[in-house]
Amino acid sequence: MGEAERSIWIKLAEIDRRIIYWSLFLLLIIPFVRPLMLPVSISETTLALYNFIEKLGPDDIVVIGIQSGVSAWPECLPGLVAATRHLVSRNVKIIIWGFYTDVDMTMNAIKARVPQLKWPDEEVGPGDYKYGEDWVYIGLIPAGGETVVAALADDLHAAIKADFFGTPITQIPLLQKVKGAKDIALVITSDTGDYGWYYVRQWNARYGTPIAEIGIAMIYSEFVPYYKAGQVIGMLKGVRGGAEYERLLGYAGEGTQRMDALNVSHLLTIFFIIIGNIGYFATRKYRRY
Amino acid sequence: MPYPTEPLEILGAWVGALLTIFIYSYILWRENYAFRWAEHTYIASSFAVAVVQAIRIIRNNVVAPLMGGDMRYIMPIILGLMLYTLPFRRFRWISRYVVSFLVGIGFGVSVRGALSADITRQILSSVTAPLGGTPMDWFNFIYVSLGFVFIVSYFTFTKEHTGWYYVPTKIGRYLLMLGLGVYFGNTVQFRMAMLSGRVQYLLQVFKIIPWP
Repeated sequence: MGEAERSIWIKLAEIDRRIIYWSLFLLLIIPFVRPLMLPVSISETTLALYNFIEKLGPDDIVVIGIQSGVSAWPECLPGLVAATRHLVSRNVKIIIWGFYTDVDMTMNAIKARVPQLKWPDEEVGPGDYKYGEDWVYIGLIPAGGETVVAALADDLHAAIKADFFGTPITQIPLLQKVKGAKDIALVITSDTGDYGWYYVRQWNARYGTPIAEIGIAMIYSEFVPYYKAGQVIGMLKGVRGGAEYERLLGYAGEGTQRMDALNVSHLLTIFFIIIGNIGYFATRKYRRY
Repeated sequence: MPYPTEPLEILGAWVGALLTIFIYSYILWRENYAFRWAEHTYIASSFAVAVVQAIRIIRNNVVAPLMGGDMRYIMPIILGLMLYTLPFRRFRWISRYVVSFLVGIGFGVSVRGALSADITRQILSSVTAPLGGTPMDWFNFIYVSLGFVFIVSYFTFTKEHTGWYYVPTKIGRYLLMLGLGVYFGNTVQFRMAMLSGRVQYLLQVFKIIPWP
């Protein structure tokens, strides 16, 4: 191998990270400006959650536990919004709480995208969700981790005293119907960390409450054994799961828009992995390390 | 949703866009003052949100019941205050009682559910044949069952991985690498989704694509 040829291979193996990031950054703009509409197939785990919610009705109460922060919106928000819309379309009662300090921002983001959810001071029209009767927002449940999740399953009224607005939960009609995990038809947990497992251990294992996971992609593979074992009834895999759910509901939301960008970014990543490996193997014999 | 019209909302959107550019300036260029400023602002604002939330929680869950005459809530307040002796060497021993209390409760609660959820049901699921299942179900069953045995064999350190024991431990190692590869792939997907979300946000703020 000549010196010039060797130099090209070395350059390929050691591309400046800024070139990679700039390529990625610029390439990601294209699918947003000119959507490619690449196909999205429906995963078994997404379909399982959809089918489960399809069987729920106005007598059922679902808990949405938000354990993902604002930083995880690109991954979790499309799925959370799609699942909430589906619950609203089925007239299912909803209780929402979260364990991250920025949960109020996530709640506002969901509410902006699911306008049927009304705050206590908002006018309620036909098809809207009246606060306190059709849905409740508890807000942040402070630190305590698995202990608090267990306490909520055992006795909701002992663990929580008031909702987000400071109204005692004994005065909230929807929460008067709920004593603990046994009264909940489904827990949808949105996670970037360990809380999904807390629900599986404390709500499903002890009370048999069905659990669904809307987490970041990293968590998905860790939850597959729980899905296979029947401990989790359905899962959405990050933004892809959100896009799949949007497709099942028949609308193209933020998840669908972002899937093209995700596909493009994956193709570019694969391209750079191949380039880097070619460079690595071509120059290996010249390296001492 | 329409593009924000309120001045404060517009300001918020632009501040978000600028902070995003400042943060990404680290990887797109190099470490700089704008990046550091955005980083410190992020930490400070997160802390501020946490403080506001903590005050609201204490008001709703502790002060309100106390004012209503439920004196049991004095106990958590005392326990909480005891934790704040941690920075003082002379009084640190007081905080240890609370820490031991928290560790004991946490461990007891997690073990209660973990035995069934993480051990018994996982093993049962792994060794139960999918009777009446599809060929893919059977493939998954055999893959998981054998994979479980091979990977456990790799983590057996009391017998050297030689002779007849070499092959299963080697297969176990490759299966582990395969699993970690999947995990890494999902991690990449997560990071790319985060980046695409920020790019989308920037394009929305600059009115290149519609507001969500």
